Amino acid sequence: MAAQVMNTPRNVDIEITSFCNLRCAYCSHFTGPGDVKDDLPLESWLQFFAELGRCNIMNITLSGGEPFSRQDLRALILAIVANRMRFTILSNGTLIDDEIAAFLTATGRCDLVQVSIDGAIDTTHDAFRGEGNFMKAIHGIHTLRANHLSVSVRVTIHRRNVRELEAIAGFLLDDLELPSFSTNAASHMGLCRKNAAQTQLTVDEHTLAMETLLSLTVKYPGRINASAGPLADAQFWLEMEDSRRTNLERPAGRGFLTGCSGPMQTIAVRADGAIVPCSQLSHLTLGWVNQDNLGEIWRRHPELQKMRKRSQIPLENFAFCRDCPYISYCTGNCPAIAYSLTGIIDHPSPDACLRRFLTHGGRLPEVSCICDS
Amino acid sequence: MNSRNKEEVIANPLVMLREEFDDQAILFDPETGHTFAINPIGVLIWKHFDGRYNLDDIAVIVRERTEAAPSDVISHIVNFVEAVVDLGLARYKVK
Repeated sequence: MAAQVMNTPRNVDIEITSFCNLRCAYCSHFTGPGDVKDDLPLESWLQFFAELGRCNIMNITLSGGEPFSRQDLRALILAIVANRMRFTILSNGTLIDDEIAAFLTATGRCDLVQVSIDGAIDTTHDAFRGEGNFMKAIHGIHTLRANHLSVSVRVTIHRRNVRELEAIAGFLLDDLELPSFSTNAASHMGLCRKNAAQTQLTVDEHTLAMETLLSLTVKYPGRINASAGPLADAQFWLEMEDSRRTNLERPAGRGFLTGCSGPMQTIAVRADGAIVPCSQLSHLTLGWVNQDNLGEIWRRHPELQKMRKRSQIPLENFAFCRDCPYISYCTGNCPAIAYSLTGIIDHPSPDACLRRFLTHGGRLPEVSCICDS
Repeated sequence: MNSRNKEEVIANPLVMLREEFDDQAILFDPETGHTFAINPIGVLIWKHFDGRYNLDDIAVIVRERTEAAPSDVISHIVNFVEAVVDLGLARYKVK
């Protein structure tokens, strides 16, 4: 039975600008469909935020591009506040100064600013983000914290930092004393497609990242998390392997394309005002802000309804999954990466396929080894 | 009779009522980020926190519009009001 759909989404992810002062080699935005020429002007965003207020949206996540590059960011945030919403900002951290940080604090509505940090030292971080940006991003973090804002760090794991994960964890959690950080990995989207050989982990490196990150979660309990990438894979795949080994009966929600619950709570908007299911599926235009009714799109658009029914598609329908010993324990993972790799949204993601990983020479971490460390 | 029964209540204008499903709603306070689940009768009560209805008036409306309202519906409403006032989601109207 299909899950009931809320009258309006709770959250809206907004790429508030397509401009960024950096060109990180694995950026999922640039050269993808979200990489649009013209940003929506302030007046159009303000009109749209009023609609979001009428739709009783609770949370806005501002990303880009680089949100702090918008000269009118204050006006945009004031409109979010005026329409009874809270907000989170995803940033590279390099454009944050004391004035804007103090402004964010004064709103009382900023849940979090997430800053990307990819290394414990400048050469690692700057390898794919550009020279001088490590120091700027660290300064941004210090500035946010000095203004009593909640800061989180996202570490994108790639070929240049995969052997420095212990140092990165020590730097972020011991030296900077951040409460936690999250990880993902350079994945097959945007610029990363062109730079895959330089940025994307090999199977051996993925194995190493999983082992290292799992060990670090023991050293720093509850302080390193992931919803994608090597740590998430390690946790999910170990559970799948344990289920297979003990011949566990198929758990609820497994064995079908249940890897994404995004279309049940969240919708996204591109910098040019196109309403899309997710920032990672920004080719799929559902409508346009200030032209189409957001609530109507949310409740009735055929593409969203189709995405919500993915969870009813059994993995056994796919030749890709045939004879897989993990089929009863798998969720098919992220539809956006599935689309990026196969051109089909309603397909399991090859990127997160345990059988494929093992077939290509990958290894699951030894659990006893992790517990001893 | 509770001394509050003749008082009107006004919702905090910042607090958002999200009627997410037919039988499920939440109150969202953007100042704190906190959410509070309320049932359909709670929604009916909340929608009368506009300063025009006192609690006795609201009890009459609840009895009219709901099946099998309990005989002590007014005490349920008083408890609900006290809870939302304590949470800063609403206030008694100043006479």
